[in-house]
Amino acid sequence: MTRYILRRILYLVPVWLGISILAFSLALLAPGDPVRSTLQAQGIDAPSVEQVQALRNELGLNDPGPVRYAKWLANAVRGDLGESVRTGEPVLRSLTDRFPRTAQLALIAIILGLVIALPLGVLAAIFRDRPLDHLSRFGALVGASIPSFWLAYLLIMLFAVQLRMLPVAGSNTPQHVILPALTLAIGAAASLTRLTRSAMLEELNQEYVRTARSKGLREVVVLVRHALRNALVAIVTVTGIRLAALLGGAVIVETIFAWPGIGKYVVDSISGRDYPTIQGFVLFAGTLVLLINLVVDLAYVWLDPRVRLGGTAGGH
Amino acid sequence: MSRLTSIARSLAFLLAASIVAAACAPAATGPVASAAPVLADAQEIIVAAEADGYRNDGKRNLLGMFPLNTNVYETLVTLSPTYQVEPGLATKWEFKAPNTYRFTLRSGVKFHDGSALTSKDVKAVVDRIVTAGGGTVGVDEKSAVIVDDLTIDITPKRTNLRALQQLVHPSWGIHKAGADVNTKPVGTGPFKFVSYTKADRIVVEANPDYWGTKPILKKITWRFIPDPNTRVLALQASEVQAVTALPRESAKTVATGDIRVATSKVGAYEAIYVNIHGKQPYDLGQDKAVREAIAYAIDKQSVVQNVWQGNAEVSQTMIPADILGASKSGVKGTNRDVAKAKKILDDAGWKAGADGIREKGGRKLQLTMVVGYPSPEIHRPMPEFAQAQLKEIGIDMKIVTTPDTAAYEKRLASGAEGDLWVEAGSQNDGNPCFLPDLLFASPVPGGDEESNMYGNAFAPGAKFDAAIKQCRESTTVEDVQKAAAGAMKLLIDDEFVVIPLAGTFRLFGLSNKVLDFVAHPAGVHQRWDSVRLAK
Repeated sequence: MTRYILRRILYLVPVWLGISILAFSLALLAPGDPVRSTLQAQGIDAPSVEQVQALRNELGLNDPGPVRYAKWLANAVRGDLGESVRTGEPVLRSLTDRFPRTAQLALIAIILGLVIALPLGVLAAIFRDRPLDHLSRFGALVGASIPSFWLAYLLIMLFAVQLRMLPVAGSNTPQHVILPALTLAIGAAASLTRLTRSAMLEELNQEYVRTARSKGLREVVVLVRHALRNALVAIVTVTGIRLAALLGGAVIVETIFAWPGIGKYVVDSISGRDYPTIQGFVLFAGTLVLLINLVVDLAYVWLDPRVRLGGTAGGH
Repeated sequence: MSRLTSIARSLAFLLAASIVAAACAPAATGPVASAAPVLADAQEIIVAAEADGYRNDGKRNLLGMFPLNTNVYETLVTLSPTYQVEPGLATKWEFKAPNTYRFTLRSGVKFHDGSALTSKDVKAVVDRIVTAGGGTVGVDEKSAVIVDDLTIDITPKRTNLRALQQLVHPSWGIHKAGADVNTKPVGTGPFKFVSYTKADRIVVEANPDYWGTKPILKKITWRFIPDPNTRVLALQASEVQAVTALPRESAKTVATGDIRVATSKVGAYEAIYVNIHGKQPYDLGQDKAVREAIAYAIDKQSVVQNVWQGNAEVSQTMIPADILGASKSGVKGTNRDVAKAKKILDDAGWKAGADGIREKGGRKLQLTMVVGYPSPEIHRPMPEFAQAQLKEIGIDMKIVTTPDTAAYEKRLASGAEGDLWVEAGSQNDGNPCFLPDLLFASPVPGGDEESNMYGNAFAPGAKFDAAIKQCRESTTVEDVQKAAAGAMKLLIDDEFVVIPLAGTFRLFGLSNKVLDFVAHPAGVHQRWDSVRLAK
């Protein structure tokens, strides 16, 4: 098991370096001039040639690409991702300032999604082809089909404009998180419900379930301790992927609800050709995904005895 | 965000709004506040503003100044709603040849910390801007020279006779020398800084010692709500009392019950620039007859009504006509005249082919319109309108959209691949030469990249350059306006390089409780000190 964990951690290094090369190169391939963006952000629409050159030197944009990459990577390893050309703030600070907000929203949404999806998916599998199953499948279909922005506006109009129960947008009070989290949770719940149902159906048809029942185990034990636990391998994998995506910033939902998270900030940075922020974000988000994958892989150790015993995990 | 997503979001919003409003909303018909309203006890207002665009990094700090002007700072000179330069913290100014403006500061002005405004503070601002690159005016460490406590000379590094008109920009707001502009802005404006939370809000309170008319509002909170539809919903939910940058699609539907829409005078524009230096297949704009025919073919009134939904007016100039003062009548522009457009093309030898598209010398009259500055969404559906109208006179037009400004400029810089370039722009300072100079002056080797990029496609040549030179070098307001109008006449009336479409308004959504709000056509100059709140 230790070997498995070490191997997983060692894998991270070359993948992380690959991400860093991609992060650095992709931003350079995008059209646009960060110098001009910086000057325009100061209200200077027609800078002099000297102003442009001076800023280009200041930002180190005159060095060859590989030199810039090496400098950038060396700084990144030390935790310095440079300064945003748009806001002038250190990129790492901007990302870490906003990340807790995004993480808060993502975690609440994913927990809410699981709270809805797990019981619903399990019940749908148990009562297969009965009204509850049909209802849950229909609900999951609607939840998965409805675009998040449409849902967001509907929720605002209902709960904030008409009922005046919740605030429209912002992030000042605990109530502010409810609508954006609900918007994200409904989408997550829809796909997780379908996944839980199908994973449970698969497990319920396995021999070991029949054996457990024939041994006279209580149905709840069969369902939860045996079938659900095995079904969790797939559910954990997908939950990890969804969580990673949400942690990278739920751009539309953050924008609609004026949630000061990472998503909107990064999209604005892309529009403003804020290279240091784009590069820093890709590296930051890539690192995050690697870590989540690691956690998911480690969760297999707990969920799947074959991993503990040195076999192969379900993997993703 | 993708174009499709954006369209889908707007449609979804309108549909969702219709459904929920129809189901739940009472038909409110609240009156606009009466002439003698009872004022609210708490004169506090919350404004939903666009995304937080402040820089907050010391030397380039613009917190409270730009792009959201919180009226904490004031500039030496200000820009009136008719784009004229007016006294601000300077009561008078004098041009001293060859390149200096001498400003006399208003006496008795106090900063929010109680200290008096002196020329040392103005010098400190200039010096700070020097460390940030010199700003639009182009200042260096020698630029600010204190004459006495209330008199200061400002001399740009290079000859710049338009410095006065540029100094109205809020990024030249005067702060207390030595004040920590990053965290505690100290200005002289009608409102004092209270707090700022990045990407969330900025709060100001009334300055009881303001030198001018005291503000009535005691507190203003701007909440940064990036999504325009959410800003509207926040107004409908009474979470805010005012909304900036109201989307034009919402202007008609939102103005019901307790909400009204306030519009400014023309402060921005939409225009088509014709590529007159393009290489094949983008060289048809070199034919003046083609340019002139396009100018007469497009129905500007229809663009105003159907594209801008009445939130604009037909414009014959690319910048707000008011900025040209009495000289604005010097630019005539064009109005739709299909017969004339057809005749111009006929006379130029462009004959209709079997498919209705004109041809000359075996070449079809096919053009490409590039749409994407500052975003394709803002122009929609103007390109389709223009396409249909040009087809009427036998021009086939293809529409190419670029996702954003950077992609648009890349296309322009890399050989100007397109015949017609659509742009929307605005005027934030009092310099009428600024945009014509930036976009249409002939390229200069080693000159500004952006200016050269535009010049390579659109510069009409020596005659225009002479007009711009005159515009740069004029010393009186009237002469500047006259020269700018002359340059614009050349672009619009004589050479048809620019085809103005619409002069657009700035839109605000307001609760009917908000009184005496006057929308400034240039958003960065918006004042809030006259605003009152009714009960």
